[in-house]
Amino acid sequence: MSGIIEVDGLTKIFPPSAKVVDCVSFEVGEGQVFSLLGPNGAGKTTTIRMLTTLDSITEGRAFVGGRDVNRDPGAVRQLIGVVPQEVTLDNELKGIENLLLAAKLHHIPNTIARKRAAELLKLVELDQSQNNRVSTYSGGMKRRLQLVTALVHEPRILFLDEPTVGLDIQTRTRIWDYIKGLNRDRGLSIFMTTHYLEEADQLSDVVAIMDRGSIKVSGPPSDMKESLHGDILTLSVEDGGEDLTEFLKSVPNVTEVIRANDAYRLKLPRVESALPAIITNVASRGLKIKETSFSKPTLDQVFLEVTGRSMRDAQEANDHSNAGRFAVAHRSETR
Amino acid sequence: MISESLALGKRSLTKWTRNPFAVIATSLQALFWLALFGNSFNPANAFSSTPGGSLGPLQQAFNGAPNYITFLTPGVIGIVALVGMSFMGVDLVLDRTSGYIDVLKAFPIPRTSIYFGGVIQNVAKGMVAAPIAFLLAIFVPNGLRFAQGFGFLNLLGILATVLLLTTVFSMFFTGMAISIKSTDSFFAAINFLTFPIMFTSTAFFPLSFFPDWLKPVAQANPISLASDAMRLLLVNGNLPAAQVSVFIWDWVWLLVYGAFFTVLGVMMARSALKAR
Repeated sequence: MSGIIEVDGLTKIFPPSAKVVDCVSFEVGEGQVFSLLGPNGAGKTTTIRMLTTLDSITEGRAFVGGRDVNRDPGAVRQLIGVVPQEVTLDNELKGIENLLLAAKLHHIPNTIARKRAAELLKLVELDQSQNNRVSTYSGGMKRRLQLVTALVHEPRILFLDEPTVGLDIQTRTRIWDYIKGLNRDRGLSIFMTTHYLEEADQLSDVVAIMDRGSIKVSGPPSDMKESLHGDILTLSVEDGGEDLTEFLKSVPNVTEVIRANDAYRLKLPRVESALPAIITNVASRGLKIKETSFSKPTLDQVFLEVTGRSMRDAQEANDHSNAGRFAVAHRSETR
Repeated sequence: MISESLALGKRSLTKWTRNPFAVIATSLQALFWLALFGNSFNPANAFSSTPGGSLGPLQQAFNGAPNYITFLTPGVIGIVALVGMSFMGVDLVLDRTSGYIDVLKAFPIPRTSIYFGGVIQNVAKGMVAAPIAFLLAIFVPNGLRFAQGFGFLNLLGILATVLLLTTVFSMFFTGMAISIKSTDSFFAAINFLTFPIMFTSTAFFPLSFFPDWLKPVAQANPISLASDAMRLLLVNGNLPAAQVSVFIWDWVWLLVYGAFFTVLGVMMARSALKAR
């Protein structure tokens, strides 16, 4: 392996036996944007916390910038910039003071720190408000400041944990532009976690889909979508008590049928040419189609393909189980 | 580690100075102790005939202090140090709950610098409050009276003693604050600890007022050691030879506390900040 991040059999078990990350292996090439895509609770944040030396590794090995995360965490910290999921700036300090403090903690001389801070604040269009306290910033401004605070020491690798979670679409798009720019113009390697499909799709050179602690599939988003070999037609039938899976599989050009609740997801090469035959076949059985929709392959469909459930279903299921887990954890934390 | 600790200490002090209420509250808390306890606990109240709040026949029992405020002022400075150092740790608890400490842990800095940064900022705040307490004590009615010969060295000795006591408490309470995961638990622990420390010290009354079983505890209390050392410098302009050794022993014990709490605080911080 020769990537800037190399991970082999990475496993995290929280006592007594909660396996949150289960034997994960991947490689991130220099200058790549690599996204770990999955629902909440998939193990993405724990993975990023292990790679950034915040959590210990239970089993397996990880190298960041050629340094062993377990054996040489200090060297790893010098190479990386970390943007956590929550905004963790000091609200009572001014924008520029947050940056200069980060520079100081990276042992950057004051004159260089001031020059870099000015450049970075201009880059994210915060130069006009640099002398305002962060408490007066909007959510988007805070995110932008948080992003450049992780860049003040010119890291080789930037770790972003859900960089746009909770932001409106305009702000999110703006953050995406900065991330793309940092990767394009500075050659920065970026490791990102996200549960936004379009974020992973738009920004990443490589996406790894993670669910229930393990990576199900990885590769360039375009390759992953192409691997689905076709479009997806979703249809639901009135009086859908009867299971039509086998019947729909027999319809010409349909390569796969998955039943999800009352709807059927059909995979076929070109939905436009196959749709009339499908409608005719269904009608010939005396059934009426209630609703149809079709889509070109997306990462959500890749997720469905490899996990057997959609991102939304996975998200809801994990949110539900996490709520229970949080209640238990909260009780033990406050003891 | 020093530069990182100073940078983190400076961060908190910058925030503190931007919050006038916090600065005023910290600085003036001594006024309430002096005004309330200085009047309500004043033994001179029992001797209405004594002029100017003088302790009269009780002067010897009260370490030779001419009036109660002179006796009380070092105690109040000790109490302000205790309360200040314990409650100021809340900044670190909030940093932890907000995730700020996690961000700091991803920097290439010794993790103990997060602890020492907390110690530095708390001690600095404490050292603003102590001289203000001293000044206030002079101006309250029947206030602090200096012994003849009280000079610059006495003042320096008092400030050095305050610095030592403040550091002792800060080493312990900062370590505790880093280890505690929620503000509720933090305040519960502070309330549990501060009142016994406060009322088993000689801050308000001399050792002879304590029951025999409590005397060893009161004697070993860091507030007692520091306030008795400060009283020696206040009540005696020039310290007699016999009192010099008492003063030195008070300091030695405070240094022992300081060393012990530094080790304990660093251990607590390391344990709390290590990767889980």
